[in-house]
Amino acid sequence: MTLFQDTGANPSPSASALADLLSLFGAIADFAVGSPRRHSRRIASLSLALAETAELSNEEQHALAFASLLHGIGALGNSAYRKHDPLSSRSAQISSWDVPPEGARICGALTMLPKDTADYVRWHAESWDGTGYPDQLRWHGTPRAAQLIHIAHTYLEAGEAEDGLAKIVSLGGMAFSPELTRSFVMWFHTNSGEIAVRPLPAEVLTTYPNAANDLLNLVADRIDLHNAAPGRWQRVAARAGRTAEELKLGAGERETLELATRLFGIGELRADTLESQDFDALSTLGRDERAQNAVAAADLLDPFEALQSVAATLRARAEWFDGTGLPNGLRHEAIRIEARVLAPCIAYDALEQSARAQVRSERIVPLERIEDASGTQFDPAVVRAHSEVAPTLI
Amino acid sequence: MIQLNERTRRISPSRLHEVLGRYDARSIVDPFMGVPTHLNYLKRHGLAVHGGDVVEWFVRVGEGLISNDFTILRDSEVAEIVEMIPGRIYSADMFKAWEGVFFTEEQCIYLGVWHENVHNLRSDGQTGLAILGLWFVLCYWLQKAQYPDDMQDIPPSELAWNYIRQTDKWVSSNLQHNSVRHADVLTTISAQTADALFLAPPARNSFRSADARIWMWEAWWQANPYFNIEHYYRETLFGTHSTDDQGYARAMASVLSAAADYPLIVMQTTEQRVPELEPLLRNARSEIEVYSPHALETYLIAAK
Repeated sequence: MTLFQDTGANPSPSASALADLLSLFGAIADFAVGSPRRHSRRIASLSLALAETAELSNEEQHALAFASLLHGIGALGNSAYRKHDPLSSRSAQISSWDVPPEGARICGALTMLPKDTADYVRWHAESWDGTGYPDQLRWHGTPRAAQLIHIAHTYLEAGEAEDGLAKIVSLGGMAFSPELTRSFVMWFHTNSGEIAVRPLPAEVLTTYPNAANDLLNLVADRIDLHNAAPGRWQRVAARAGRTAEELKLGAGERETLELATRLFGIGELRADTLESQDFDALSTLGRDERAQNAVAAADLLDPFEALQSVAATLRARAEWFDGTGLPNGLRHEAIRIEARVLAPCIAYDALEQSARAQVRSERIVPLERIEDASGTQFDPAVVRAHSEVAPTLI
Repeated sequence: MIQLNERTRRISPSRLHEVLGRYDARSIVDPFMGVPTHLNYLKRHGLAVHGGDVVEWFVRVGEGLISNDFTILRDSEVAEIVEMIPGRIYSADMFKAWEGVFFTEEQCIYLGVWHENVHNLRSDGQTGLAILGLWFVLCYWLQKAQYPDDMQDIPPSELAWNYIRQTDKWVSSNLQHNSVRHADVLTTISAQTADALFLAPPARNSFRSADARIWMWEAWWQANPYFNIEHYYRETLFGTHSTDDQGYARAMASVLSAAADYPLIVMQTTEQRVPELEPLLRNARSEIEVYSPHALETYLIAAK
């Protein structure tokens, strides 16, 4: 993807663009489990500040920065959080213990990350006394950097600064090592408990030509796993890509569309069910929910400069061509072309998946239904292009 | 003040689970079990697990975490552990020998009370959970002696209550037969069949420098503050007969010979010990994969 490509002749994405994508991954995981906005970014900043106070080596700090940013990504797809029949509270608790090792496995697959990042993610919820999870490591068995993520997490969970201080002090020698508890207290009194945002050490990331693509595909896979919609982004991406070709969209528009097909599902991560399960994909009744999900996804992307066009596309994907859609009631060309392409492709996929689940004789042909919505919900030109390419996609 | 080892062995069951998954191993035997929290993890993830150790309190904890599928301690039962029960006779000086050396007078009295109360519990599962919970208290106290200003003063019964309550969360069933035995390594290996044998062999002479938190808790369980854990190991395979290189190699050869029928052997060690252990394992199995995610965590994996 050229969007993340370094300026000049280097075909690899820039390290800072990769760091942004990793921040996005952390933010998506935060959103999926209901953590406050920029939670993982704040944990990264605090962990790094504590690491300086505790005099961790540069190498440890580099891995810690990204481990704290990504510590929660194992929740994406974890059965305690993903869409399915609700678990008992006990089963959910036991499943949630698998978030760190799952996060470590994901980090292990991200070769751009510094060495030891995956281990810090794996052990960020361990307790000094051996009562943590997943491995119940004891004492010095847990790397100090991983313990700092736990401290930072506990501090931020407490809400008020003084409550956080009291909580961490009370857990000294239990959840946290006495030395690191002391480091935290020192940091707290030096900084009045205020967390200053620190830049991520992007320069330590190992970039390569397909790094951004690999990372985004992995994020998209996790989103689909979490939404219990396996393979959805690939189907929608193939359909949208062919439709964009037929419409002869420019390279920039196609790239935005490509990214949007990978990320449109993030708006649904928190919902109990997919929007297409609550309402028919073409129903006016589902407009509010679709718009809500579209806005949630766009809001998550807004802080990332390189993803502004994708955010705008996702925000507009629930608009209707005739101006009766949401969130902004845009009509015709006021709706970005990428969003006009994305909308029927998502709807087609939902209709097709729903048709597959029905008895053959009752099947409604999704293509006809998309064509019926031409001019109202969808752009007629896009629908025509989509109908042209649809047979090649079956 | 007692010295606590900075480095104790690190067993990461989540990583071990990944290794075992690569070989499709669904059952495992660990004859050097130790505190069997790693086997508890594997049990929770569906593997049939079997452990063994010569140290009795490890085995009792295993009865709480491994063979026990359902039994937990209710609040009233925890209350009967952490405080004196009216009418029960307690020996006030059972652990007096530790007073002023390792613990305070109050702590020594509580150790005696808890010893009596735990020995009066009705089931093996509950006993194992209580022993584990109270062990965390012992560790807390020993740490606190080193960091008096960095750790909270918590009343003994409250600390014990909190830790014992926590043990419940680890009790689970995996619809498999899981077991622990109080036995030497060779007995455990021969008594069980499984897809994989997990070995975290002790270093040569390591029984002579056992961590205080380990030997002390066995002394507590045996109600003998002068107890020396070396007694357990003296006549075992890795005891006095394996204090030199040749003796240690012979002991490892016996273990690996007894393990001949296991389809998979996973030996966990450190990078430093690989040159010592790999040739020993290679004598028994020709194909060995060395997987070393960390200098302190290296796996020698030998499939048949």
